[in-house]
Amino acid sequence: MAKKITIHPVTRIEGHLTIEVEVDNGKVVDAWSSGTMARGFEAMLTGKDPRDAPYVTSRFCGVCYSVHQLASARALDAAFGAKVPWGGNLLRNLVMGAEYIYDHVLHFYQLSALDYIDIMAVAEYKGKDKDLLAVKDKIVNLVKEKDTYPLTPRYKPDDFSVKDPDIVTSAVSHYIKALKMHAKARNMGAIWGGRTPHYQNIVVGGVTSYPDINQWARFRTMLDEQKKFVEEVYIPDVLAFGTGPLWPLATMGVGGGHYNYLSYGDFPKDPAWKDIVFPAGTIVGLNPANIKVEPVNTEKITESVKYAWYKENKPVHPYDGEQVFNLDKKEAYTFIKAPRYDGKPMEVGPLARMLVAKNPTLIDLVKKGAKPGAVARHASRAIETKLMVDACYNWLDQLLAEMTKPGFKIHDTEHWNPPESGMGAGFHEAPRGALGHWIKIKNKKIANYQAVVPSTWNASPRCEKGVRGQYEEALIGAPVPDPENPNNVVRIIRSFDPCLACAIHIIDPKTNEIRKFLIE
Amino acid sequence: MKEDDVVSKRLLDELEVHGISRRDFIKYCATTAAILGLSEMEFTTKVAEALEKPTSKKQPVVWLEGLACAGCTISLSQVLNPPVSSIILDKISLRYHMTIMAAAGEVAEAARREAVKEGGYILVVEGAIPSANDRFWMHGGRPGREMVEEAAKSAMAVLAVGACSAYGGIPRACPAKGISVSDALKRAGINKPVINISTCPVHPDHLAGTLLYVLVTGKLPELDSKGRPAMYFGEVSMHDNCRRRAHFDAGEFLKDWNDPKQKNWCLLEKGCKGPMSYIDCTVRRWNDGISFCLDCGGLCQACGEPIFYDKVSPLYMADDETSKKIFAMRKTGQSKENS
Repeated sequence: MAKKITIHPVTRIEGHLTIEVEVDNGKVVDAWSSGTMARGFEAMLTGKDPRDAPYVTSRFCGVCYSVHQLASARALDAAFGAKVPWGGNLLRNLVMGAEYIYDHVLHFYQLSALDYIDIMAVAEYKGKDKDLLAVKDKIVNLVKEKDTYPLTPRYKPDDFSVKDPDIVTSAVSHYIKALKMHAKARNMGAIWGGRTPHYQNIVVGGVTSYPDINQWARFRTMLDEQKKFVEEVYIPDVLAFGTGPLWPLATMGVGGGHYNYLSYGDFPKDPAWKDIVFPAGTIVGLNPANIKVEPVNTEKITESVKYAWYKENKPVHPYDGEQVFNLDKKEAYTFIKAPRYDGKPMEVGPLARMLVAKNPTLIDLVKKGAKPGAVARHASRAIETKLMVDACYNWLDQLLAEMTKPGFKIHDTEHWNPPESGMGAGFHEAPRGALGHWIKIKNKKIANYQAVVPSTWNASPRCEKGVRGQYEEALIGAPVPDPENPNNVVRIIRSFDPCLACAIHIIDPKTNEIRKFLIE
Repeated sequence: MKEDDVVSKRLLDELEVHGISRRDFIKYCATTAAILGLSEMEFTTKVAEALEKPTSKKQPVVWLEGLACAGCTISLSQVLNPPVSSIILDKISLRYHMTIMAAAGEVAEAARREAVKEGGYILVVEGAIPSANDRFWMHGGRPGREMVEEAAKSAMAVLAVGACSAYGGIPRACPAKGISVSDALKRAGINKPVINISTCPVHPDHLAGTLLYVLVTGKLPELDSKGRPAMYFGEVSMHDNCRRRAHFDAGEFLKDWNDPKQKNWCLLEKGCKGPMSYIDCTVRRWNDGISFCLDCGGLCQACGEPIFYDKVSPLYMADDETSKKIFAMRKTGQSKENS
């Protein structure tokens, strides 16, 4: 007899997400993903000065802040005809590089680690390491006072939870250290971004932050500290967990999904964008033994609103998309639209990027038996954090050379004022994946604004053909031996690093539409 | 230790479906079990699973997120001195915070209900409350608004953290028509002290400092006319405290971000809203004093003021009504100087 489990809220993510799964025989057989908060930013932007868009859309999300600022500025660059000087692009890359390092470290330690360890095992630590004993003291004191919030309550640790006191205690000490490290990574970005979250320096045409050599030296010194943490703590932790206690989850491929991947490509190392950190490409129906990557054609992107609380429309390209709410649509169960590429649901994010790039470290893990899924997503995130650290050094070297030349430029001042009319698309590989903004301008004002964000791809509902979104599909087959403690469900969802504030949706409190939909 | 102690038969069957041989998995488990089997797990599991009444003296805090972006939560984690880990684990008892807490689903909700039942907590609200339709923010099948009202009733004080929850912020301009926490409580007839710690996102110092003030004194800090802690907000505008002020007085306005000579000139012509902004950013700065909006050539958009965002848009324009007022102020400034 199938049993339905509703997890609301899914915590340790950005935003309001409900996951509903149907479990039969200890295994997920069907799933529904729904965000439960909507603001309606895109509709609000209509009629505004286009230059407001990067500032406003940054507030789509405060965890992955400024990714929208950049995608939006790029859409404006295209619509205004602005040409960003290489110096401006280097500074955009560097502040976003700092964002990546912070964001991935935060995700692994603060948002995910508690899914994989039995934190209370710290109390059993018998070693002599002074730092770890301090961690033990801290936790034991909390336990004595019966006040272990927010570390408990929690789902009961399961068979996959790591309970070895040495491993857990070291993980908890890294959890605490990571809090400091990602705060420092954000400070690094603030050198040119002005502050975090929500940088202030990314505008149409480039950036506003004319750099000086002291800032350059400060950024580089802070980057050294980040590099050390990434190489000596973050990557070893992910490897130790992924190829150790979590190897069975990895080889089972828990959290796989549709095996379709999309990366727009981003982070140029040269002005011609020939050498880029994340190459662009799509993979449909992954065959790990022979990965076939096809070029991206963004004209193939459509959004279906069949199961979302928007006015009915055929699947359309984002340029023609609209944000007209229909709260009474019977078959709808979410406010997240269903983006499709050539009609297919795609996964975006670190795993997609590393597969499209055929990254040797990830391919090696796959060859050893790790199937693309929840664990591979954590691994991909760690791998690309290192790529991003290395790229930051490259950009810093180039910046120093550029900024000491006469005539150094960071902004296309000629194209600061909005054009009478125009349209443009801006793409960015955000930490959570492929991000696109589309703008139409009429009478110097925004005529239409649409964003297709990473979590819209991943958290998408079914499309008009009834094909599940990526979260939904990834949950199918997940072992849930204990319905009271669906650890694997939240592990899978969190492995995507959901960011729901921009991916939106509503459930009717009176008629409880979502339930009706599920029962039918 | 027997294999059944480590892993259920059902799970082994599951693993086989996924192509993992029983033998492989048991081999893996045996290694782990050798480590696990030794532990005196009873002590820890007992404590961890029970929702007992805490005996600690820490101040309970319940943190709710409405029409928000979690930016204020990230700001909280920006606090380095004292480290945020010590605030969260040693200074407060964080009963509910969706982005931080270990629990999910019903386990998390039970913790919130328990805290609300006990009362006496500081309620932190991040994000606005939808006023157009409750369905713009639903929480567990109920309007999130009801959850805020319910939590506010038994709170000792309410901190409206960030521009959205203090005054409506950007969501006020959106179809959801976000309203501030104090307005939402007024509409529900709930009378509770609300401290507005505005700006988008909240300044980490403003948040940590207000929290620490309440913890140390047991009292609420003095507020300015807009309900904000007077120690951070109040009488003096950003413009009056701006280190670019001399360039304003000299009529030197930044026109080209590429020109190093203009780097420190006044940003009013680009659309800076500093004169409308009564906050200590120019002195305190952000990110441990590393920088702030104006230091990166960016503009102040008065994100700590009730006028943010709809009444300061267009953000990068200098010829609208708002800017005309600002330039009128400049004339006043000049005449003062000349007199």
